[in-house]
Amino acid sequence: MPCVAAVNAAAEADGIRVGDTLADARAKTGSLQVRAADPAADDAALKRLALWATRYTPAVAPWDETNGADGLFLDVAGASHLFGGEEELIADLAARLARFGLPAQLAAAATAGAAWALARLRPTTTLAAGEERAALAPLPIEALRLTAATRRTLRRLGFRRVGALIDKPRAPFAARFERELLMRMDQAFGRMPEPLAFILPPPVYHSLRYLMEPLVAREAIVAVVRRLMQDIVHTLTRDGVGARALRLALYGVDGGVKSIDVGVTRPTRSIPFVARLIELKLERMTETAAETTAEPLDAGFGFEAIGLAITAVERMEPGQAELIDSFDETGAPGWLDERCAELIDGLAQRLGPRCVRRLAPVASHLPERAERPVARNDRAPWPAPDEARPRPLLMFARAEPAEVMAQVPEGPPRRFRWRGVLHGVAKAQGPERIATEWWRSGASAPTRDYYLVEDEAGRRFWLYREGLYARETVAPRWFVHGLFA
Amino acid sequence: MPPSPVTIPGRDRAAIVDELRGLLPRMESGAPPRALPFGLPALDAHLPQGGLTLGALHEVAPAAPGDVPAAFGFLVALLARHPLRPPVFGKDRAPTNKPVLFVASARALADHGRPYGHGFHRLGLDPARLILVETQTAKQALWAMEEAVRSAVPAAVGGAIEKLDLKTSQRLQLAAGGAGLPLFLLRPAHTQKAEAQKAGAQKAGAQKASVQEAGVQEASAAATRWRIGAAEAARDRFGLVVRTRWHARLERCRNGRPGEWLVEFDHAAFRFSLAAALAGPALSRRPDAQPANLRRAG
Repeated sequence: MPCVAAVNAAAEADGIRVGDTLADARAKTGSLQVRAADPAADDAALKRLALWATRYTPAVAPWDETNGADGLFLDVAGASHLFGGEEELIADLAARLARFGLPAQLAAAATAGAAWALARLRPTTTLAAGEERAALAPLPIEALRLTAATRRTLRRLGFRRVGALIDKPRAPFAARFERELLMRMDQAFGRMPEPLAFILPPPVYHSLRYLMEPLVAREAIVAVVRRLMQDIVHTLTRDGVGARALRLALYGVDGGVKSIDVGVTRPTRSIPFVARLIELKLERMTETAAETTAEPLDAGFGFEAIGLAITAVERMEPGQAELIDSFDETGAPGWLDERCAELIDGLAQRLGPRCVRRLAPVASHLPERAERPVARNDRAPWPAPDEARPRPLLMFARAEPAEVMAQVPEGPPRRFRWRGVLHGVAKAQGPERIATEWWRSGASAPTRDYYLVEDEAGRRFWLYREGLYARETVAPRWFVHGLFA
Repeated sequence: MPPSPVTIPGRDRAAIVDELRGLLPRMESGAPPRALPFGLPALDAHLPQGGLTLGALHEVAPAAPGDVPAAFGFLVALLARHPLRPPVFGKDRAPTNKPVLFVASARALADHGRPYGHGFHRLGLDPARLILVETQTAKQALWAMEEAVRSAVPAAVGGAIEKLDLKTSQRLQLAAGGAGLPLFLLRPAHTQKAEAQKAGAQKAGAQKASVQEAGVQEASAAATRWRIGAAEAARDRFGLVVRTRWHARLERCRNGRPGEWLVEFDHAAFRFSLAAALAGPALSRRPDAQPANLRRAG
């Protein structure tokens, strides 16, 4: 039976309550407008709002189901002074939310539980630490984030106010009720810590600027990034660390938040380098948006605040950064790696992380498994080349079938047709027999005989015959697997 | 009486021209440019700086579409030569080995597979030095090449690109000159033909043939353009390939003359050499290689 999930002010005035059946609600008011509830969209909207709220503090947790899924926790410890205090922060938040058309109930307290209760039942209160008891005592037991069943039982037993529960001995409650009751009380009064599930992992270092005028231009954003990084660099230097991952958050005037993640291969504290990476990333977003209609960097009405967070750090030797300035090609082996990492990071930011790669050898006999692309700055030593086993310069991801004429079925090819062109074989070197890796599960491919084949024009191909004649197959198939220089 | 041409006693015309030619590159850029020699006297003496100019753009194009691997191989062998040091493979590799960047747009090498690390080994380039950059568009590839060259981090930069106009090539040439890095570009085989056909369509039919024969020079700021064709490899007495061979035609050379050679690359010593017998079977096999040209190139 359909029920009412949410009501607006007008419906509430007509006496409709959340939980009424739809038929009852219709009976109460003739002109009721009904829309189907969309919890997924509500959830997404709450997440968007939570992202936006990171403009106040990086630690924002949207409420989950047990909290009612209709609000946010902001951990403003260390952030409220930026606004002149908690009251001012709440006023600012309320004003901005009102501008989005969101009437909000806000409260501040030293524990999440108390703040939740006050926001629901005594909005716009700010509570100093230690006052939870006094503030929550007169509130009804709904203030305790309990399940409906627990609430019902409590009411039946005659508990209506939180105050009635506070000083009762714990043992009978623990015996009679689920763990939940005592846990919620302890959380509200700060006797038990409450872990919050933040929408973004709180960064290690964070800097944020509110702008006088909304910004639209890319250059201006990069300029702000430069200043934000400047703010952070001192603390990074003090702690002897460098940034490995950064997140830039752009807070739009319309409440939207764009966040841009940037990873670097080596820890960095360089302001121009970080600014350059961000610039490249922004360029890429603009470009890909133009070509593929992917999510563009839509400044909309502009960005009113920009935050730079360092989400991952790594130890960094002091003086490592200074080497960049003193250009010395002969000394300082770290210098080259440093500059190389910067180049690779820059390319990867602009072109996409998969576009820049190195190759690493893999101990496998199968040519297509003998190497793999690796993370951008891992250098793997390669074994010396084996003269007896020539390998092509270019290899096909999938070997291409070829029609081959050979004098004897197990002999080298005499002529082959590949991509519609007939090549006469002048010389053939081989075979190099490569058996399947039988120890691998599911690998039951036939044995291959590889030939380095030179055609009459002097072009060199790498052909293989699949299957040992008469033992594995009677009609061996041929493939072109690679091309030699 | 008409004025007679000025003659300087004791010096003949050829010597003066040579001297002037030597001055030209110095006029173009302040410092005398360094060069990357092939290690082949015949070839290096032919090039104006005694090798390929370091801070410059060099084009490598295949003679025919089927010669792309050959041209790519030639390019890789050149990439590996800078800095001039025999390659050391394995763990005790010199730590200062600079990386080598190869940039290709996704389409540039699509028909010929992907670069295979073990194959780079054979041409003297340690795959551990190699950084491969694959871009979606040619524009991005150009940007990546320019960025890499300007950073002056890699020892050399290679690239594969389908289209290149004069302005872009000038840009790349400038970037390479500024950083003192060689930039090798792999060009497709068909540009010349396409250009010739375009030019041929505009001109009269009689001229068309001659245009195609001469090959319309695509405007480019590159210092050299090489046209590479595959040639029969040198083998040892067991029939194993020991030296890869290429028909290398120097098609364009700033301040220099074109030429043609049969170049070998030794897979054991990792160096270039010239084919021992110029009148070998490899040359006579190719119908388009004319002995007259060869002699001129000497």
